[in-house]
Amino acid sequence: MEDLSEQKPAPTTAWLWQALTGVGLIVLLALHMMTQHFIAEGGIRDFAGVADYLRNPIVVLLELLFLVTVTAHALLGVRSILFDLGLSARAETTVSRALLVVGILTVAYGMWLTWTITQQI
Amino acid sequence: MATQLQSSRLRRTAQWADVRRRGMGMWAYTLNRVTGIGLLVYLYLHLVVLSMLAGGPDMWDPFVNLARSPLFLALDVILIAGWLIHGLNGIRVTLTGLGFGTRSQKSLFVGLMLIAGIGTVVMGIMVFGS
Repeated sequence: MEDLSEQKPAPTTAWLWQALTGVGLIVLLALHMMTQHFIAEGGIRDFAGVADYLRNPIVVLLELLFLVTVTAHALLGVRSILFDLGLSARAETTVSRALLVVGILTVAYGMWLTWTITQQI
Repeated sequence: MATQLQSSRLRRTAQWADVRRRGMGMWAYTLNRVTGIGLLVYLYLHLVVLSMLAGGPDMWDPFVNLARSPLFLALDVILIAGWLIHGLNGIRVTLTGLGFGTRSQKSLFVGLMLIAGIGTVVMGIMVFGS
């Protein structure tokens, strides 16, 4: 088996963040699946069920934490793939900044959606 | 010159996806990326679908019936397989990246993928059973 880890230098900060968010996702995804799907009747909640679920502020906090973690993990993965293109230092900075904007917009969208749903309760 | 450079970049970019005549380590690496890209696409599709919640029960509830159809449940099982493969393989990547178990990568990968396979079957039964 090729040992890819031995071909790399010491883990970068981005790699460590991706690993950390990955570990966090194991817990958060398991929680999300159990609460949103496995204990929900028929595997998915209707609107009244979603609204009722979001009445609990701890649930809202956990779902937003899940969104931040999964977005960070996913976009760090995209960054890693794009960096494999052999970009210049300037292009790498541009990519990092663009992905940060995408991440912020994604989380902002999640917060807006949660707020919109809770306003209809 | 510019075309040559672009071609060289494309070759380098596609290198990770080309597993022909490569060892199991490269298969594991590629599998992680392919499942990662699939899960990224799913994440944004999921967020788009959830926007229907903003339209209230009139928009969301008809979708719930569709999501409980056998086709959607089968897609859910594929999604769960993607999570298990990516997650378990990711644990291996993290461990070996930090210097743990580098000599037993092959058996670790095979063992974890076996768990992913069993997990997918069990979760599939749970999904269709619900």
